[in-house]
Amino acid sequence: MPDKKRKKDLTFAQKLYLPEIFKGLALTFKSMLKPSVTMEYPEVKFVPPAAYRGRPVLVEEKDGTERCVACGLCSRVCPALAIEVQPEETELEKERYPKLFEINMIRCIFCGFCEEVCPEEAIVMSKDYELVFTSREDAIYGKDKLLVPVDQLKDRLEFLRNFK
Amino acid sequence: MPKLTIDEKEIEFKQGQTIIEAGKDNGIEIPHFCWHPKLSISGNCRVCLVEVEKMPKLVIACSTLASDGMVVHTQSEKTIKARNAVMEFFLINHPLDCPICDEAGECKLQDYAYSHGVGESRFDEEKVHKRKRVELGPRIMFDAERCISCSRCIRFSDEIAKENQLTFVKRGDRVTITTFPGESFDNPYTLNTVDICPVGALTSLDWRFKTRVWETSSTESVCIGCSRGCNTEIWVRNNKILRLTPRQNEEVNETWMCDHGRLNTFKFVNEEDRVDGPHLNKNGELVKVEWNEAYSTAFKKLKEFKPGEIAFIGSAYATNEDNYALVKFAKSLGVTNIDFLRHTIPGDQDDILIREDKTPNTVGALLMGVKPLAGGNGSKQIIELIRSNKIKALYVMEDDLIGDDSEMEKLLSKLNLLIVHASNFNKTAQLAHVVFPASTYAEKHGTFVNFQNRIQRIKPAVATEEMDRTLDGMSQSRWDKFGSKYDRWMQGKKFDANPSWKIISRLSGQSNQQLKYDTADDVFEDIAKSVTELKSLDLDDLGNQGVELGSQKVGSAKTVNSELS
Amino acid sequence: MSILEIIIITFVKILFIITAMLLTVSYSVYFERRISAWIQTRLGPNRVGWEGILQPFADVFKLLLKEDIVPEKSNKPLHTLAPFIALFVAFSTYAVIPMGPEVTIFGYKVNLVVADVNIGILYVLALTSLGVYGITFAGWSSGSKYSLLGGVRASAQMISYEVSMGFSIAGVVMMASSLSPVAIVNSQYGWMWNAIVQPIGFITFVISAFAETNRLPFDLPEAEPELVGGYHTEYSSMKFASFFLAEYANMIIASAMIVTLYLGGWQVPYIDKLGLGETLTTLIQVGAFFAKIGALIFFFIWVRWSIPRFRYDQLMNIGWKVMFPLSLLNVVWVAVVLMIFN
Repeated sequence: MPDKKRKKDLTFAQKLYLPEIFKGLALTFKSMLKPSVTMEYPEVKFVPPAAYRGRPVLVEEKDGTERCVACGLCSRVCPALAIEVQPEETELEKERYPKLFEINMIRCIFCGFCEEVCPEEAIVMSKDYELVFTSREDAIYGKDKLLVPVDQLKDRLEFLRNFK
Repeated sequence: MPKLTIDEKEIEFKQGQTIIEAGKDNGIEIPHFCWHPKLSISGNCRVCLVEVEKMPKLVIACSTLASDGMVVHTQSEKTIKARNAVMEFFLINHPLDCPICDEAGECKLQDYAYSHGVGESRFDEEKVHKRKRVELGPRIMFDAERCISCSRCIRFSDEIAKENQLTFVKRGDRVTITTFPGESFDNPYTLNTVDICPVGALTSLDWRFKTRVWETSSTESVCIGCSRGCNTEIWVRNNKILRLTPRQNEEVNETWMCDHGRLNTFKFVNEEDRVDGPHLNKNGELVKVEWNEAYSTAFKKLKEFKPGEIAFIGSAYATNEDNYALVKFAKSLGVTNIDFLRHTIPGDQDDILIREDKTPNTVGALLMGVKPLAGGNGSKQIIELIRSNKIKALYVMEDDLIGDDSEMEKLLSKLNLLIVHASNFNKTAQLAHVVFPASTYAEKHGTFVNFQNRIQRIKPAVATEEMDRTLDGMSQSRWDKFGSKYDRWMQGKKFDANPSWKIISRLSGQSNQQLKYDTADDVFEDIAKSVTELKSLDLDDLGNQGVELGSQKVGSAKTVNSELS
Repeated sequence: MSILEIIIITFVKILFIITAMLLTVSYSVYFERRISAWIQTRLGPNRVGWEGILQPFADVFKLLLKEDIVPEKSNKPLHTLAPFIALFVAFSTYAVIPMGPEVTIFGYKVNLVVADVNIGILYVLALTSLGVYGITFAGWSSGSKYSLLGGVRASAQMISYEVSMGFSIAGVVMMASSLSPVAIVNSQYGWMWNAIVQPIGFITFVISAFAETNRLPFDLPEAEPELVGGYHTEYSSMKFASFFLAEYANMIIASAMIVTLYLGGWQVPYIDKLGLGETLTTLIQVGAFFAKIGALIFFFIWVRWSIPRFRYDQLMNIGWKVMFPLSLLNVVWVAVVLMIFN
């Protein structure tokens, strides 16, 4: 085989391999002494930053009503067809509210499009990443599970105002 | 023919046409709010401003007559600037209601704001506030803030519905629409204003807040409210009909539809009292049974009577296919007593759309031969014969003989055998010994013949248990296309029902003279062979506009996509 | 000593060694996992028992309970035989490794080696060459292209590196003038460790040992990215565990060999000059032997998580063009040293 000219020939020390190998060994030995970055999950829980996209939730106003006006944009934009909204008329000023709001957490891909499209900041991505269910039915979250008081979502709402 | 040039394209026009009409006939759309092809010209929205060479100012295309040699620019810089300005004016006081507005998705203002708007507003003052929930009439809700004062609804009630009920009041940005004092917007055609309203100012109380339009599928059909047979679209979500809207057919209903047909002809399809699966009367109670048991019982019992003791009642609510199959089945049994009932409300008729005859297929039923055969008896005699115990078995297809008639109820309870095809448990069905669940008009293929002798097609919009939206080629919404059986929005109720022709075909399978029909098309083929008026007619010849019988010729099919709005 | 006594003593020694081996082998797996985790700033298994100390038992139980899958197209007798060969070779090599000096226990003079064979080194070489059969059989009998490639690579690699390994050992044998491991250990009295006397031989031997045990950077026979699992792709359950154990057993033997041949075996320099009691001295010496092995095992693991795998042509180049001449050079060097000092 003809010799291929390298861009840069190796020096004699590099050709010996051994010095480089010892350099590598020194590096790994140093990292062995570093503290571990592992979080021991059930005992220690990760608290995500505001930018984190956990499960989508509905904002519940202080008076106990949902902020959502059931416009259905989240449902339309959802690439996984996870959201179903059925509107109904209400006497409140907003005129309509979601009679039924369901997110199928098996379908949800946590893309955050629903949050991005929402004209009312009514659906936001929470910090909740602990999603467990044992049947397909349990995975469909209704309003009972989706509504979260606005106080608990301050972080995310502020983040959205600053960066959306 | 005179010619004019629009956007460098030379087009021919008829003398007397306006620029907008000439453009529309040649596929050039000029934006418009107040102009509607069926209404008089108002010229107040100004969005159709176009530049015409040699004219000092821009002109509105909707009221400027086209003339020979005219050169029109709809995309010139000047035009676009003017159009953008008009759009900006509209949006100054139009509320940002799209998320809660039912018109969203089929809103002209929304479309034009997207295609002709500048994308931002320079108006940062407070918008004008008006009343948002005004009940103009028993079926219409008016949102004054959303109104752009195009006057389409006013002109409609004046010119089409012929009842001058609406008017503008006040001036400037306080202008609003109201009914004349003491009047209610309640003519029989009010809901058409919802269709022609270019924004969401007028909404139907029935359809309001039910769903988003883009979540529904629409299917071409025909209204069964009267013998006019208005062309309609059926809007379905999760296998449930949510509304009907008119579909353009210049020969039948132009683009209109009456409120009765729009509101009262679909609710029974998803009603609680639907017959779900075949039922047999066992010890005085109707019990749900398997189809095979129903077929064999019905046929066995029918065979216990002499042909002279049996009578068949067809229906003007049923399709031609159903009636034809019924007649053929009656003949195979040797039964000659066959007829159908007329449902008319004398006097309930106008010269717009509404007809006295409240069934969609009277002409069709007669054409299919639902009338006494040689030596047989008509409906009146049949009733007399039941009273005198000469007729002991009655086979009723898709009609309610009783209604509010208690005498009839007593009479029918005398019968030894009553077999009924019914979509809902009406009083006749409740008395029956065998009840077959019949598909409604929204669940089957078929044809109706209206009072003008026009044969029109219906297509299934709602699936029954035996049907599948994909496999049966039914129209599908996005949900239908991508849903699985595990999604709640795919679990809409499917009734265990079949079209009457299919029930009869399978019932006849108990005898040695089976009617071998697999699809409604098979039945129609058979009809086209034996009924002279429908000779050589093919389902594909009907298009979506239907064909007037006697005028049919190959290739007369017409399909029109409604674009009038 | 009667024959019976010799048999009993040998039996006890074998039992001790096998138990010790099994434990060390399974714990070296545990340490491998922990050390690799530390290198990657992770924690590693720390759930079973205190700091995961019972993890090896959990692993073994898991493997025992798994379904044993034998591919339909395999040569079944060989497929079953291969892991036994691998395991047998790995364990029986240990017979000739001396762990300490001659001691007196309950009045019996006991050599801390199962069998003080005068051709022990030859025995080791012979057995390690035999070990390649286990792998080759496994690769060939599985009836899978990945396994076959793994097996072929293993035999080619082992033969190549056996050569330089043999020549490296030649230097040691020349120094000790004996093929007996016990004699070799004894010859490294004081600081006369072969690693110091013949450094080139030491390096070539260590590198060959890596290659012989199929450890990274020489683990081409089981290179996961290209060969799935190499020769043990088609093995599961306890058969897979056998190969796994054999690999670690080989690692321990290689460490023991390096200690015996180059790092003075159980010798601790000048410990006899300190005037400690005989029992204590022996204990320290045996301890030193195991400490040296432990250090080497750590080295093996450390290298594995630091250095990437060689390409196959690089492997062959190093084997024949570098290691082989170097080990020859070492023989010459030892000969020169011997000529000068004797």
